[in-house]
Amino acid sequence: MMTHPIKRLAPALLILAVATVAVAEIAGQAQRPPATAVAAATGTRPPVGEDSVNFLVLGDSGTGDRAQYAVADQMWKSHQVFPYQFAITLGDNIYGSERPQDFAEKFEIPYKPLLDADIPFHASLGNHDDPNQRYYKPFGMGGERYYTYQKKNVRFFALDSNYMDKDQQAWLEQALEDSDAEWNIAYAHHPMYSSGGRHGSEVDLRTIVEPLFVKYGVNVVFAGHEHFYERLKPQKGIHYFTSGGGAKLRAGDIRTGPLTAKGFDTDRSFMLVEIDGDVLRFQAISRLGMVVDSGEILRQAKPDAKS
Amino acid sequence: MTLRKSALILSFAILAAGCASEETVPKPRVPSEQPTANPSPEAATSVRPEGEPGVNQQGAATLEFYNRIQDYMKIHNEAERDVPSLKRTDDAEEISGREQLLAVAIQTLRANARIGDIFAPEYQPYFIKIVHDDFSQRSAVDRKVIIEELPKNMKVEVNTLYPTTLPLATFPAILLRKLPDLPPELEYRIVGRSLILRDVKANLIVDILRDVVPTIPS
Repeated sequence: MMTHPIKRLAPALLILAVATVAVAEIAGQAQRPPATAVAAATGTRPPVGEDSVNFLVLGDSGTGDRAQYAVADQMWKSHQVFPYQFAITLGDNIYGSERPQDFAEKFEIPYKPLLDADIPFHASLGNHDDPNQRYYKPFGMGGERYYTYQKKNVRFFALDSNYMDKDQQAWLEQALEDSDAEWNIAYAHHPMYSSGGRHGSEVDLRTIVEPLFVKYGVNVVFAGHEHFYERLKPQKGIHYFTSGGGAKLRAGDIRTGPLTAKGFDTDRSFMLVEIDGDVLRFQAISRLGMVVDSGEILRQAKPDAKS
Repeated sequence: MTLRKSALILSFAILAAGCASEETVPKPRVPSEQPTANPSPEAATSVRPEGEPGVNQQGAATLEFYNRIQDYMKIHNEAERDVPSLKRTDDAEEISGREQLLAVAIQTLRANARIGDIFAPEYQPYFIKIVHDDFSQRSAVDRKVIIEELPKNMKVEVNTLYPTTLPLATFPAILLRKLPDLPPELEYRIVGRSLILRDVKANLIVDILRDVVPTIPS
């Protein structure tokens, strides 16, 4: 009785197939984990759009301790699934002394995979940061304490909330007025609204800056300083997020109240954001890779001053 | 630089003009050899002595403060000429090294610097009044938040480095609006109960006005 040639070759083909998969997996591991495996491990959701602006939001990260490295590890895992194009920092980039070795231990080493992948950072300054950090190229500040840049249809405004002097106010108003981007996103260290028990809302900053945000149509504001994650209920039509748990944690500090839409203060975290046309999608990721908050924001109509 | 200078002069002139409309004209403290002790805030609202020429005292004091800032900037600029120019770099060593070199150069040029060299005695009452008025308009919670964020147990001395291990406390933005403008090389900071002038590029404490910030009410 004749046996079909394929059947006769089946054991050999099976062995070959298994070997090929094994080799592929080993090769993949040598470079980076397969995206599907990482997705299962992290819970990170991939972006939806094909031509979106995707970025990572990280605050209060520069401790150089194990927690920072654990978050950094998770950031890189998430990148496999959600390939953010750049990262913004919300200040306190380097805690404590700022010797050259501190820049290595508190930034260059933990985020080496990102830096090696040419993922640029655009930092803002926190109260623990020497303003001369602005000259450190990997922070992408262009030598300025406050600055603006655009990615596709999104304009970003990195502010120095430690020292909101008249020059910065005048600059901000002019920069906002000049912006013709569809999305205007501001970020700084201090939160204008916060349910934190330790710090709370930065009222001075809010008094001075928020009217400009309202007048010129800032859509979303990111801040750090508080060592937890909080999504605030929209204030004056603006969406506010606090993401200051990039390494430090102030466990149990959120005093949930009328401001809080969602809070997470039991572990470190960072955010992933996708801007896809008129939709902004966000997810807050914990140190262990859990999605602790997520959602969509529809772009608000431009105010009269910008229409 | 000329434009900035003009803006500074203009802002001082506006400040002085604004003060001219006040009902009370603060009397400046007489300069002394040892200007470490602060005058009381009340000194900033005392009535001008009889027979004193009709000069806007705050305007004059503001100009004096401005002159001292200019004097400091000459030193800063001279020191900066002697150190490598600051440029964007991948090397953190260059940034910190340059900061240290500049600090040493300024410290050398200001070897005899003393408290009150910049916060001119003539202007101290106005600073104190501005800070006290600002804090008096804040809620107890707001004052507590500000004060609790300030670096504590930190000894500050003129012409020394601001400790890099300590945070630079956020300067209340509304208070900052009320103080005279500074060139970008300088900034105000609060440490404990003191208002300090800090050289941003050199991380140096340029001058100190002690016991300005009110304590938290018990």
